[in-house]
Amino acid sequence: MASASSLAASISPGTPADTVPRAELSEIDDSTKSPALFFLCSAILWLLVGTAFAVISSWKLHSPEFLNQWEWLTFGRARTAHLNTVVYGWAVNASFAVSLWIMARLSRSVVRHSGILMLAGAFWNIGLTVGIIGILAGDSTSVEWLEIPPYATPMLFIAYALIGGWTVVTFRFGKSEHIYVSQWYLLAAFFWFPWLYSVAQIMLIFAPARGTVQSLVNWWFAHNVLGLWLTPVGLAAVYYFLPKVLGKPIHSYYLSVLGFWSLALFYNWAGMHHLIGGPVPAWVLTAGIAASFMMVIPVVVTGINHHLTMVGSFHMLKYSPTLRFIVFGAVNYTLSSLLGSTMADRNVSEVVHFTHAIVGHSHHGLYAFFTMVMFGSIYYMLPRILRKEWPSAMLISIHFWTTAVGVIVMVIALSVVGAREGLEMNNANIPFIDVVKHTVAGLELRSYSGMLMTVGHIAFAVNFLWMLLKPRTAQNSEPTLFRQPTPDLETAAQ
Amino acid sequence: MSAQDPKKPNPKIEQAGASDQNIQRVHATLLREKAEPSEGYSPMPLFVLGFVSAMIFFVAVYFVHHRGGIGPDFSFKQAALVYDERYDPATAPGAGAAKELTPEQIIAAGKKAFSTCATCHQPTGLGIPGTYPPLAKSEWVNGSEDRVIRILLNGLSGEVTVEGHKFNGLMPAFGKVPGGGYNWTDERISQVLTYVRQEWGNTGGPISAEKVKSIREEVAGARPNAWTEAELLAVP
Amino acid sequence: MNRAPLIFLGVFFTLAFSWTGIVLTNQLAYGKLEPVYDESEAKAFPQSVPGIAAQGKLVYQDLGCIYCHTQQVRRPGFGGDIDRGWGDRQSVARDYIRERRVLLGTMRTGPDLRNIGARQAGEGGREWHIRHMYDPQITSPGSIMPSFKYLFETRKIVGEPSPKAVQRLLPASAQPKTGYEVVLTERGDALIEYLLSLKDTYNYPEEASRVYVEPKNEEKKSEHPGEAVKPEKHP
Repeated sequence: MASASSLAASISPGTPADTVPRAELSEIDDSTKSPALFFLCSAILWLLVGTAFAVISSWKLHSPEFLNQWEWLTFGRARTAHLNTVVYGWAVNASFAVSLWIMARLSRSVVRHSGILMLAGAFWNIGLTVGIIGILAGDSTSVEWLEIPPYATPMLFIAYALIGGWTVVTFRFGKSEHIYVSQWYLLAAFFWFPWLYSVAQIMLIFAPARGTVQSLVNWWFAHNVLGLWLTPVGLAAVYYFLPKVLGKPIHSYYLSVLGFWSLALFYNWAGMHHLIGGPVPAWVLTAGIAASFMMVIPVVVTGINHHLTMVGSFHMLKYSPTLRFIVFGAVNYTLSSLLGSTMADRNVSEVVHFTHAIVGHSHHGLYAFFTMVMFGSIYYMLPRILRKEWPSAMLISIHFWTTAVGVIVMVIALSVVGAREGLEMNNANIPFIDVVKHTVAGLELRSYSGMLMTVGHIAFAVNFLWMLLKPRTAQNSEPTLFRQPTPDLETAAQ
Repeated sequence: MSAQDPKKPNPKIEQAGASDQNIQRVHATLLREKAEPSEGYSPMPLFVLGFVSAMIFFVAVYFVHHRGGIGPDFSFKQAALVYDERYDPATAPGAGAAKELTPEQIIAAGKKAFSTCATCHQPTGLGIPGTYPPLAKSEWVNGSEDRVIRILLNGLSGEVTVEGHKFNGLMPAFGKVPGGGYNWTDERISQVLTYVRQEWGNTGGPISAEKVKSIREEVAGARPNAWTEAELLAVP
Repeated sequence: MNRAPLIFLGVFFTLAFSWTGIVLTNQLAYGKLEPVYDESEAKAFPQSVPGIAAQGKLVYQDLGCIYCHTQQVRRPGFGGDIDRGWGDRQSVARDYIRERRVLLGTMRTGPDLRNIGARQAGEGGREWHIRHMYDPQITSPGSIMPSFKYLFETRKIVGEPSPKAVQRLLPASAQPKTGYEVVLTERGDALIEYLLSLKDTYNYPEEASRVYVEPKNEEKKSEHPGEAVKPEKHP
């Protein structure tokens, strides 16, 4: 490399020494452009579809006569469509885009033959579309997180195999010798998911296990989609963008190592906490609860690592959109995981299990952590892929505030409602219909917060489309920030 | 476009990491970017190690206290049917152990079992003339325990006289008999007999499961066939 | 790059650990649970669900009923399930062994349905379900359950009015015009049959013996002789 930079310097004496790595990054970004853009367009489209189903389902819960004449949109199907579009449509497509881009950059590996990735992405979207239509038509398998009918899942599997395989190949043929923490998480996630998915499909759909062994497999799978796919992708993104935007190294490699391995060891047992009190062996539940408690270790360790990296730079939250979304996400990762560990305790579960508090918790993790981190990642990635800047800081600001406030209100509303619901449900003196009636106000608040978040998603989509369509000009070289950094503060690259 | 064209490396010029065009084209966004992320090597705070050790200890204790039975003498297969995390195989009754039932519960259980008997002996206990003897005020029912237990275990065939009337039917075996039998437990046989012996004005006393067990052992192996009246009258 | 094999091994064994412990161990331990034959009742439990009820279960699945209703009763003292009359005993694994699709559910926006067939039984139960499905507000004012009017159809009366006509159960606003009657569709009929079939009445002996026995504690005697002592909650 030294000779290359000196060669560069001999051609043009003003070229800085790090231009060659920058040029390399530029080349890598270029190679990821088509597939990443494809996945991002898919992701944002699915986000809008998923948000529509979300608002419809949320409204139906407190106003059951809403759109009631249509069997295809009954709550049981609309809610299922919502879950599958936001998870397999938005979250997974965003994961593909962000992980591919991060992996290519960190591995210092140019992505070749990216047409295959786009083909795989198309397969994924087709499979998912067929699956969602199937769910609305009544072909749901009725297995939570695995509702896509079996005629659509093979396409998803093939698409995943191609995308996952390609990401690992990208890593394998990269020039980087050091494996950075984000790469550990991504490699792990891409390895874990097909194992989980195959076992679940075989033992639940194609050759169903007998009795509640199904439930064990179901929640081993479903919780691990969160814990061993979405969380590692989210953490990989935080571990990339946080030091990148700040221009500082991650505080401690040793904390990263401990955080990664303790997550790998404990997270995949924790899924059993979804079955507390249920017809499954008590020892498995205790193992799941114990693992849920132990999850405090990776969460706290990672939180400390991130926090100590951030210390001294909190002022940058004022102007960097990427940083704001990423930090919001990372803080909520810590919060939602700690709350989750608490809810796993049998005494707490006795109250909150089966209530809306659980829905609040899942949105806390999936949205306030994962989705916000993905938003932040996309805000950083796109200018590098498209070589244009985000057109409107105002839209980014709207996006941030509506989604941040919206999700916090949603989580708090559902948690409060759920706690009361659980306590009342355990009191046989309170008629069940009254327990239900007491939840309605909170459910309405959730609908309003959801609509606020929808505004944010629309702002995001508009900004995205505008950015795609606007011409590339030489003047577009200033990052789109919330406000301009004052001269005495360190300038942040967006 | 690739940085090096591997098909045509020019041995005379050392290849740059990036082509000339690329170097000039690196755009403003990339130029202002900070360096790629890297790890710092600050040592792990000591309290983290302490925290981790404490967590491992307390959670291990939690697991042991709520292990729902699993242990060296209790297999996963057995523990699979334990739904209470407080269960302790050492203190809990085993699968075959007799539960302490109150007299009322014994009679209730016996009555439930009697529904099988009622098909022949009738819910009134009066039987069918000529075929099924009555149980109400029957000297057989209220009499010797040994005889009535044997009837339940191996059945009764041939003619029998009850309260001066003759009956000729076939009572099946309710114990375990090769190739047949209802295979009722000692408990159930004792319960149904206890019930019958106090119902419809009967005066016989309760029969214990242990007694049924001892009779079962006594006749084990020797009696695949149903009893006849003569054989039973030979029993005290 | 030489760390990559290490990462792979670690990542492999961590998931293998939970796959073995949760999936494989339990599949081996109770994945082949058999029904229990009871001589006094001369039946094997759990019983199969009869044909039309099995069809109704498919309707339950495709309408997504599991997203509001559970089918699992928690043990006495843990939650209010037994107190609410949702079952006589805790649900056990053997209750579900005949089900191709186990529908435990995770949300109780509506009540648990494991034993709904015991709570709403026979003709009275059927009529309750008909009213409830048509419009939950009829039987449960204030309910947030949607109505399932598409499980009913209005058809012309041909010849004699059908004995299956249900408009007598429905409110005035639902009455068809003269010459027409309201009946359940096949799906509606099957679904209600399924709901009527849901009851776990049998007490499996092996499971019943694996219960936790309170240690006998003299100091816990209540002031009022004969009153049951509330079992101590174990954390």
